[in-house]
Amino acid sequence: MPATSRWLRPATRPAPSGRVRRPRALPYAFVAPAVGLTVLFSLVPLGMLAYRSLYGGGNNVFATHPAFVGLQNYRDALAQGGAHALEVTAIYTIGFILLTMGLGLGVALLLDLKLPGIDRLRAPFIIPLVVPTVATALIWANLFAPQFGLVNRVLSYLGLPQADFTSSPSLALVMVLTFGVWQFFGENVILYLAALKTLPVDLLEAAGVDGAGAWRRFRHIRWPLLRRATIVISVITTLTGLQTFTQIYVLTGGGPNGATTPIVYYIFSTGFQQFNTGYADAMAVVLFLISLVITVAQVSLIGRGARRDA
Amino acid sequence: MTRKRRTASRALSYGLLAVAVAVVVFPLIWMLGTAVKPNGQILDLRASLWPSQFEWGNIVRAWNSAPFARWYLNSVIFSVSATLGQITSGLLAGYAFAMFEFRAKRLLFYLLLCGLMVPFTTVIVPVVQLLADFHWLNSYQGLILPNIAFALGAFLFRQFFFGVPLELGEAARVDGASEWRVFYRVYVPLARPVIAALGIIAFLMNWNNFLFPLIVVNTTSMEVVSQGLSVFQTQFSTNYDLIMSAALIAIVPILLVAIAAQRQIIEGISLGAIQ
Repeated sequence: MPATSRWLRPATRPAPSGRVRRPRALPYAFVAPAVGLTVLFSLVPLGMLAYRSLYGGGNNVFATHPAFVGLQNYRDALAQGGAHALEVTAIYTIGFILLTMGLGLGVALLLDLKLPGIDRLRAPFIIPLVVPTVATALIWANLFAPQFGLVNRVLSYLGLPQADFTSSPSLALVMVLTFGVWQFFGENVILYLAALKTLPVDLLEAAGVDGAGAWRRFRHIRWPLLRRATIVISVITTLTGLQTFTQIYVLTGGGPNGATTPIVYYIFSTGFQQFNTGYADAMAVVLFLISLVITVAQVSLIGRGARRDA
Repeated sequence: MTRKRRTASRALSYGLLAVAVAVVVFPLIWMLGTAVKPNGQILDLRASLWPSQFEWGNIVRAWNSAPFARWYLNSVIFSVSATLGQITSGLLAGYAFAMFEFRAKRLLFYLLLCGLMVPFTTVIVPVVQLLADFHWLNSYQGLILPNIAFALGAFLFRQFFFGVPLELGEAARVDGASEWRVFYRVYVPLARPVIAALGIIAFLMNWNNFLFPLIVVNTTSMEVVSQGLSVFQTQFSTNYDLIMSAALIAIVPILLVAIAAQRQIIEGISLGAIQ
């Protein structure tokens, strides 16, 4: 056995010289910052969360000797807005997935066409992703403002009644969803475009010669080949939708009456505004479990697809 | 397909794309138009949508109405340090997991994998409690250190280092280079494209992070740009010219950075999908 093989990965070639020192501590020093900080700021807090959600009731942050309360925090949190927040999260996220993925795929297909100058049209779609959400949400608040906002000006120009986007529950949801789709569909444009660029071009062109129309070519050739990409993108999009917070803070403050309070905003407002940290802890555990299920589902879906395709 | 149909379908494609680009860009143009409008014109329903006279002074007034310079300084300190920390810790861990064999490798790797499964938004309450215990609320280290735990970076660098040839390092070792030197002089330069793509994405994520500064920092002098802007909005709630000017102040510099680095950004977004 060469001297280095005990600490270098097995694929390594034998070291021609025996002078290489064996740094036993070195690998640990290399991984220490990443692993240490992950444990300290992700795993330890997750444990605290699970523990605390079961102890001390709604205001457990103030309890000096919190007593075990079982699932009381979960029941109370769900009854006091938590269940509603889950419902809002589901509606928002489903709309968000369908719209951002549909628009993302549509624009990506257009950008994939071999037309002169089309590469330059890719960059604008990343703009909403990269500029501060607070700032762009303020612009949309202005567009949706009562009376002199652009949307209401257009409505009154068309002779339609004014729409108050902050006091009607359904319109408030429309507003935050519109913003969310505007902000994020560019990410799916980029992701779908990257996937489209990896498809075998010969196969597609052969189908074109055979006289298959654009829709049939897409439906029978590209769409099946995009299956894996679609799964990965849908998971990324779902996780993004579940995290929605900033535009809610700026546009609606969760209102009216919790109509635009998704789960992260619920955790924030119960934990940091009402100091019902027990409820925030319980709903954070629920959010963690939902995210976990989605990630695991992705891995198993891709695995099953790979076996079937093989 | 006949030539006529092909021309028509080309025109349709360009047309649809033009609409999509217009939808993306329009709010920013609206912001510019509103920022330099006299406030009276904004509130006057009969006035034209585009300003008839440009009041560039609105932007100066907005800048002088709040400590934007301080907020920019805080954003730069926070985003640059957090990004450097994320890239450095990710490079080190990714390299070690790809290149070295060591006893606790699997256990430590699984810990990192578990970290990847925990969205940061789920642990905000206990993280703030930890930071309060450390007396790190309202401090740079409180803002920066929890964000350096960036498991995804370590994973992507590990993938990258699995694909690089080992012979380069062996050659350097024969010449008597230390392991640190092999890492720093031989392999890190190879990773430059990944560092650039991941670095710019991480930087933008940190720069635009709103929730975390919001819960860790609550004094004006420690706030970052996004946070300051949200306070600005509540203070000047009906001065739409000033609010849009402030939004412009927050958007333009980072937009210039993004335009300069657009290729790396597109690469970085695509990298995130390869998990």
